Amino acid sequence: MNNPLLTNICGVELKNPVIAASGVFGYGAEYNELFDVSILGGIAGKGLTLSGSAGNRGERICETPSGMLNSIGLQNNGVKHFVEVDCAQMRSHGCAVIANLGGHCEQDYTEGARLLNDADIDLLELNISCPNVRQGGMAFGMNVHDAFDVTRKVKDITRFPLVVKLTPNAPDVVAVARACASAGADALSLVNTFLGMAIDLNARKPFFDNVYAGLSGPAIRPIALRLVHQVAHSVDIPVIGMGGIASCEDALAFIMAGARAVQVGAAIFSDYTCVARIIDGLRDYCVRNRLSNIGEICGIV
Amino acid sequence: MAVISEVRILDASTFLLELSGVTPGAPGQFYMIKPGASTAPFLGRPISIFDAEGDRVRYYIDIVGEGTRMLSRAAVGAHIDVTGPFGNGFPDVDGDVVLIGGAAGAAPLYYYARRLRERMPDRRIDAYIGFSRECPSAEFMAEAMRHVSDSTVLNIGGFITADVNYTLDATYIACGPDPMMADAHRRASERGALLYVSLDKRMACGVGACLGCVCHTGSGPQRACKDGPVFDSREVYHE
Repeated sequence: MNNPLLTNICGVELKNPVIAASGVFGYGAEYNELFDVSILGGIAGKGLTLSGSAGNRGERICETPSGMLNSIGLQNNGVKHFVEVDCAQMRSHGCAVIANLGGHCEQDYTEGARLLNDADIDLLELNISCPNVRQGGMAFGMNVHDAFDVTRKVKDITRFPLVVKLTPNAPDVVAVARACASAGADALSLVNTFLGMAIDLNARKPFFDNVYAGLSGPAIRPIALRLVHQVAHSVDIPVIGMGGIASCEDALAFIMAGARAVQVGAAIFSDYTCVARIIDGLRDYCVRNRLSNIGEICGIV
Repeated sequence: MAVISEVRILDASTFLLELSGVTPGAPGQFYMIKPGASTAPFLGRPISIFDAEGDRVRYYIDIVGEGTRMLSRAAVGAHIDVTGPFGNGFPDVDGDVVLIGGAAGAAPLYYYARRLRERMPDRRIDAYIGFSRECPSAEFMAEAMRHVSDSTVLNIGGFITADVNYTLDATYIACGPDPMMADAHRRASERGALLYVSLDKRMACGVGACLGCVCHTGSGPQRACKDGPVFDSREVYHE
């Protein structure tokens, strides 16, 4: 019997279109103690920076209505540590391995991509959308010019299919998406978190040291869905959709809007069992609707 | 999924929750308890073990927001989403132990004391617990602690850390508000006493993946949920 969830992203075969989003899943080891993470189509690892970072000071998370703000600040052990240690651990889970690379300047990205050429990964996700580091990160995803430049430079270096992860905070997300596609991106993923804020009323100060933080969870889902729909209908490369997906119905909506695959993020914190339910639900949907492959409804809306 | 077997309101701000069908945990470990089945509230609440017997675990919980308020109103017999136990728990020390608890921070110390006493009945356990005001939940905690300790001092409205005599002959364990633990550290380190602190941080995942509860220790960023919540106080208050 054929697997109706088999998904191909830029030549990489995923056993299903459900990927753990970067930043919620570490490199897979922690959640593998709670459930068999090999059921996933892929894992996007915690965001890497060239030389690593201790991350942000102060409070890092704050619950919001049907979601959360985070200000982790790309805490990671650096690309070298990933290539030598974390990467093999990710590979051991038997799903597609996606390395997520962020940076503060163009050289961080190009040098990081060069080092990652020695890693055993399937896809490189270029994070030009992290809102939680003071310099760079999201800055590259905010305008057409910078997004084009960094995408092209990394594309010239990397030996892996390149997925560019977009920020919803750009004034014109569709224009940035088109720029990345024309610069050679093999796929796009969106959306990263929306810039939000919380205030500590007792201290009369911003709740986060970094003042603004990234909003995720079901609260952002309708906006994320709209952006995925707009971008998927504006570019010819595959789009990986995300933003508040917590159920099979949510995943189906993103797929119908044009997403070839979906990433599940904050919902895993809320209830990690949603991952298995989404995958099972998508399979049931294919059977019930006599689809030979889930891709048949991709972009149908 | 666990079942709510008891909800006992102690006063306007504190209640006891008992769940059955829970995977047993060690003293100082915690569970992520989800107040409702929907996405609001979105995250589980990290709650430490007040007491446990078999698959029944009791929690002593302060109502600090909407999530804990919902839990205090939960119906007995209802199913509830709870995962855990998580975290390293308190050290399994030999010898005498001094416990310093601030309000609900005293809760995990009770279970710890009970287990320590079971394992080594002739050791000395002294408890110091502080509450900001007189209330039934403070009396309840003091009474519980008296049953598992050689002495229990209940301090209302003052600095509980100042009541403690810090020596080299015992292991000190503090759990409570950060300023209280920092003060205990200052006093303990002046005397060279060994102090462990249990951190209470906001958490999203509880399993070590999200890095939301990280504490910048002397040896780099450490996750309160996975590497802790119990740390040598010199690691936490290193500056």
